[in-house]
Amino acid sequence: MTIKSKGISLTIEGKRIIQNIDLEVCPGKLVALLGPNGAGKSTVLKVLAGDIAPSQGTVEYENIDLFRMPIIERANLRSVMSQSQSIAFDFTVMEIIEMGWLHNNHEYYAPHYRDALTEIVQMCELQSLISRKFNTLSGGEQKRVHFARALLQLWIPETEAYPRYMLLDEPLANLDIYHELKILEIIKNHLSKNIGVLIILHDLNTANKFADNVALMKEGKIVKKGLTKDVLTEPILSATYQTKIKVNDTTPAITYM
Amino acid sequence: MIKTLIPEQGSYLFGTRKQLSILFFLTTVCVVAFFLAILNGSYQISLTEIFSAEQESIQKVIINDIRLPRVLLSLLVGASLGMCGAVLQGLFRNPLADPGLIGVSAGAALGAAIAIVVTPKFISESSFGLFLLPIAGVLGASLVIGLLFTLTKGFGYQGTTYLLLVGIAINAIVGVAIGVLTYISTDSELRTLTFWTMGSFGGITWLLLIPASFVIITSLLLLIPSSRNLDLIQLGEAEASRLGVDVKKLKIRVILCCASCVGASVALSGMIGFVGLVVPHLARLLGGVSHRYLLPGAALLGASIMVSADLIARIIIQPAELPIGLITSAIGSPFFLWLIFRMKKNDY
Repeated sequence: MTIKSKGISLTIEGKRIIQNIDLEVCPGKLVALLGPNGAGKSTVLKVLAGDIAPSQGTVEYENIDLFRMPIIERANLRSVMSQSQSIAFDFTVMEIIEMGWLHNNHEYYAPHYRDALTEIVQMCELQSLISRKFNTLSGGEQKRVHFARALLQLWIPETEAYPRYMLLDEPLANLDIYHELKILEIIKNHLSKNIGVLIILHDLNTANKFADNVALMKEGKIVKKGLTKDVLTEPILSATYQTKIKVNDTTPAITYM
Repeated sequence: MIKTLIPEQGSYLFGTRKQLSILFFLTTVCVVAFFLAILNGSYQISLTEIFSAEQESIQKVIINDIRLPRVLLSLLVGASLGMCGAVLQGLFRNPLADPGLIGVSAGAALGAAIAIVVTPKFISESSFGLFLLPIAGVLGASLVIGLLFTLTKGFGYQGTTYLLLVGIAINAIVGVAIGVLTYISTDSELRTLTFWTMGSFGGITWLLLIPASFVIITSLLLLIPSSRNLDLIQLGEAEASRLGVDVKKLKIRVILCCASCVGASVALSGMIGFVGLVVPHLARLLGGVSHRYLLPGAALLGASIMVSADLIARIIIQPAELPIGLITSAIGSPFFLWLIFRMKKNDY
């Protein structure tokens, strides 16, 4: 029960973007994807999400080839949050969140619409925003709305929680500390709902504190992956980021010199 | 507490309760406009006369053979331009898109221009007669859509911006062809062509209306189920696909439906400007931007506006009449300007 990529590479116009990436995301685990700018993290996430087909290698969801899976089936298995586009028309926040609700035609889930929406709006503390126009929100607020939408996409009654996945591309960018922690807490809580999370992060300390596993990328390749404490070590980090980095036993554990 | 903030889902197809009541209101407006247009004109008919008049009376003949088909045509054309405008603005995520943009109207115009200018030189008027112009219009529109489809590899190549640009380029090429035809036309052909370009609902017969209404109504009904997907595509094509939308299928469905109903509309009534652009924005101002409401809303509003505009065209300088395109453009263009300034303000 995993998302698994086996040896995926992507070459666009002769340029290797990512090379031979093996990654695994299990339900209940938080995997952080780290690395300097331009390392190919977002591309890996897009391939795992099924946006781009890799030039080589395969992506499997529960041992089924992702690119043979119907689009709607993919949508029920994973939600994605990435750099979002601007929205041309004045949708309300409620309408945007509601776009994540895929179960309108589902015999058993459809009646849960209001419960699910209420639960998620409260969880993300968006009550005061839901009747506002989405385009009038600040960047951070828009992020939180998209995050809520991604959560709603995976909502199912707890008794039927089959494995699902969230792929998050820098969900914490533009957020203040309170909401950053809030979102991390929500992600943590969702791990116990049979959801696996792949998250691209910039802050090494956040990764150190929250991730079960870490994959460190540089120049399109995975430098090192494994348990967080095995990857986030002084020599590996210093070499990857080309910066002197110190790992302590105190908090914050990781400091830059 | 928060439960009250979350709207009842209302009808899944048509949006929230508030939006449903606006749709109901628009339906009423549409019905009223319809009856006003039936009763008024160079020959006034009262409501009681419709029901009391004998079978062969002049009132019956006017209503059955002249006014009813004409008002029905304006209703259908208004609905199709309104809804297709809303759908294409949604698909292109661009508030300035309209049915003219993907080149369908221009294609229909080219077909009509060829029918008016070229065919009389080869075949006699009587062999096709009545059907020549509309068939040429539909063929022209299909040709342009076929071209667009091939050039963009099934509407899939490099996203909607590319599609939009190809549409603009095709529009320009068609413009040249029409220009050449205009140049070689005789005076009387030029007159027909010019009046056709300005649009009119006059001269419609049941024989033409019935097949056209079949095409238009079918396409409009096929568009309505796409409304949720059109909402989702506002998040971007990649995001919509992550939410389970088959973007390519959506594009094909939307463009083919719009092409056939706009093609049929333009072929029968000529170029009617600004309705497809302006009506969706008016509908959004009334009841919101969700396509579940917007598609039927824009159709009803477009129909009401077109029926009323045609009524104005018929009575303002009676017994003569103004070209309908003149009226819609006269109302539409100032509104368009207002829209541009309003959009600029929203940027801050």
